[in-house]
Amino acid sequence: MVIQTIGAFFAVISFALVLELPKKYVVLAGGIGAAGWLAYLLVVAAAGSVTAAAFLSTLLVALASHVSARMFRAPVTVFLVAGILPSVPGASIYRSVSYMITNEPELSSHYLVQTLQISGAIAMAIFIMDSLFRLGQKK
Amino acid sequence: MNDKLLVETAVLAGEIMLISGAEIFRVENTIDHILRKAGRNTCEAIVFSTGIFASLNDPSIEAITVARRVTVRATNLNRVYLVNDVSRKLCGDQMTVEEAYERLKEIQTVMQYSRWLKNAGIVGVSVFFTLLLGGGSRDFLAAAITGAVLAVAMEASSRLRLNDFCMNGISAFLIAFTALSVERFLLPGIKSDIIIIGAIMPLVPGVIFTTAIRDTLNGDYASGTARMMEAVVIALSVAAGVGAGIRLFQWIMGGLIW
Repeated sequence: MVIQTIGAFFAVISFALVLELPKKYVVLAGGIGAAGWLAYLLVVAAAGSVTAAAFLSTLLVALASHVSARMFRAPVTVFLVAGILPSVPGASIYRSVSYMITNEPELSSHYLVQTLQISGAIAMAIFIMDSLFRLGQKK
Repeated sequence: MNDKLLVETAVLAGEIMLISGAEIFRVENTIDHILRKAGRNTCEAIVFSTGIFASLNDPSIEAITVARRVTVRATNLNRVYLVNDVSRKLCGDQMTVEEAYERLKEIQTVMQYSRWLKNAGIVGVSVFFTLLLGGGSRDFLAAAITGAVLAVAMEASSRLRLNDFCMNGISAFLIAFTALSVERFLLPGIKSDIIIIGAIMPLVPGVIFTTAIRDTLNGDYASGTARMMEAVVIALSVAAGVGAGIRLFQWIMGGLIW
């Protein structure tokens, strides 16, 4: 789990290079991403649900992003976009396709539904955090 | 104050932000804030994912309206951040309109990382994703090879100005094919599935998806739906590419062995 979290840290930093994240926030974004992935792994270990894990880890990432954005007076997107990378359901998309090819339609549609569920969970988590942070904000 | 230059500055700021992948709400907000500095009766900004309209009007002046079409898109969070900073300073009177305009012109071309570093980033994503998904040292090595192939494919398609759909499809195809070949001929026993998953991560539309959600929440349904659609199309092209790669590999191997 430690190695996986370290992997997440460097994966997010590498992705930050591709997205041209401002230099001074690269390490922070990596930290947010790694924390999110650690939360993901812990929830999977505790509850066994990938969707719940994606939801809770994105909630954590979104919270950390909003707090950092306010602390450093930078747009939220800067931290959010890189941080949620590990939870994006690339694995489910891949498995869905690969089972479609090996002619196992049941497994394939299982992973297709999982892809949609995870995307929905991520969307919901970002939604909730955005709404919470908008409370009482002047237009 | 020079109204014309102010409108020009506002639209330029919006254009950079929109191209760099900011949410619609942020773009409109930025243009609006800058336009309001003029102190005119009406200032409006309408932004879609494909273009910007901004207008400044007052009984005492002739209306100034600027439209800008945006065709390219390249995520660049640094530019979003810098433009945000300029608009903050401009509205806080720490910067004149002329200075802001000059600064925005600079921001338009600013690049923090070289091409090589970006390609290293692509390789890095696939390599470290293998770790993240629980791969070992052999998987790590295989992911480096696959990631390098992806970086070359992306670099080549951007030089050829290939459209996004084909670029993603072809890159995903090469990823699947390379990963399976490496497993077969170079490093037997590696987990080719997590290597493929890691390598497709730079292609999977996580960024667009995130922006789509935030646009929708902000009530920009037109842009939200457009971006959601974009994310779906990209995901499909990646899926099709990976599928074709696996199938072709199986087919070739089947022909050679039996």
